Amino acid sequence: MLKRLLLGALVGFLPSYCYSDNITPYYGTTGNAAQGGLSWSMKDVLPTPPGLDINGIFYRYTPNKNTADDMKVHVQNKHANGNGYVFRDTEDWSGHQGGIEVRKLIGIGDIPRSAWGDGSIEVEGTGTVEDATVIYSYKVDPCYDPQFSPSCPGYKTPIPDIPTVNLDDLYDATKDEYVNLNDEEKLSIEENEERLTEEEEKEKKEAEEKKRKYRLEKLMSISDAAALFAETQMIEQMNGIMQDQLNNTYLAATIPGGQYKETIILVDKKLPDSKAGLRNGLAQQILHEKMISKQYK
Amino acid sequence: MLKKAGIIFAMSLFTLSAQALDVPISGTVQSRCVITTDTPGTYGNPNAYTLTTSSSDGGVQPIVRYDVTLADAYYAQITTPTSFTTSPSLTDTVTWTGSTSVSSISDATNMAGYEAAKTTFGQTTQFDLTATGSTWFTSTSVATNGGNKAFPGGNYSATIEAVCVAK
Repeated sequence: MLKRLLLGALVGFLPSYCYSDNITPYYGTTGNAAQGGLSWSMKDVLPTPPGLDINGIFYRYTPNKNTADDMKVHVQNKHANGNGYVFRDTEDWSGHQGGIEVRKLIGIGDIPRSAWGDGSIEVEGTGTVEDATVIYSYKVDPCYDPQFSPSCPGYKTPIPDIPTVNLDDLYDATKDEYVNLNDEEKLSIEENEERLTEEEEKEKKEAEEKKRKYRLEKLMSISDAAALFAETQMIEQMNGIMQDQLNNTYLAATIPGGQYKETIILVDKKLPDSKAGLRNGLAQQILHEKMISKQYK
Repeated sequence: MLKKAGIIFAMSLFTLSAQALDVPISGTVQSRCVITTDTPGTYGNPNAYTLTTSSSDGGVQPIVRYDVTLADAYYAQITTPTSFTTSPSLTDTVTWTGSTSVSSISDATNMAGYEAAKTTFGQTTQFDLTATGSTWFTSTSVATNGGNKAFPGGNYSATIEAVCVAK
């Protein structure tokens, strides 16, 4: 039972733990709001992030006055809605000497930025304020807008907004009554459109013809390849048969071993020149000389 | 019967001695008056025989801060130096002057009268802390060597004593 309770408690705390682990508020301080004078706009003082709450104000100034004079100093911010003040702190210096600096740090509950109107240091009575400093401390909750991060509580996965368009509402120049064309221009446009249509059809036909030729060439190339293949096969078969024949011729012979002696015996020891050859050589010589001598005739 | 009575008497004595107990009491008192150094001082040396914290003479005025959380319960007593805590050996008598004033307050309406109501005796200035909040006091300390003789070279230091005295 105790285990179940502990588990339940753990599960219950888990979401808040995860949230604080991922997106946590951060704190900061502004610069001196009274740097440029005794009144200021909060738009110029506070940083831009949304979800900003002011949680404290530090101010200091030195009054310049005569002891006998009555003087009150108000450090204040008007309410953004125009009704009264969202913050106002008053110091009464009446009957006191001037020249003593006042330093004040005032903690306030987290008041959203939207409530803060223009700020000022207002002097009521006789005297002036010198060396004024006003600094705001603030807290920023990044998850003020849950869509800031998927880790923020309340985050919803955004669905894109796709606008629907009525095609009839789209602009059509041909239906524009302000586009005034004379007869000649209208005729020119019609002719141009006809010519464009014809060109498109022509291009289609040419493309179809090209495709047809391509298919035919492809088909023929396939049949040529088949014929070439068959021929190659046949040649290879013939070569194989021939090779087999040759192999049979050579391989069937049997060479007996032993000594092979010269069987032709030359009877005459001297071989005489052939008379037929001699005759032929002489005839050739005579013919040659005749040809040479003809050049000089 | 006497035996029984004796036993009962002995038991009652035993019970009495067992019930005796020392009960401790402890507690913590948090100070309602806290003193801190806001700015340490520095002596300037405008001439050979003078040391001063005046800023116009190159010094830095020390500032001490009192934080009071109980109204009208304390006096702030601040005593400017009357001797050096460290210095070279001095053969002449040093003359000391000093003053303390309110420099800043956290509540003008209730504290702006502190300065006017202060009392001074000797080197000590007393302020009546009638309101809660923070008050900053600035002191000035001037040391002049006797006979306007030059101070020997070396390091000099002195302390201001700030005390919170209960009323």
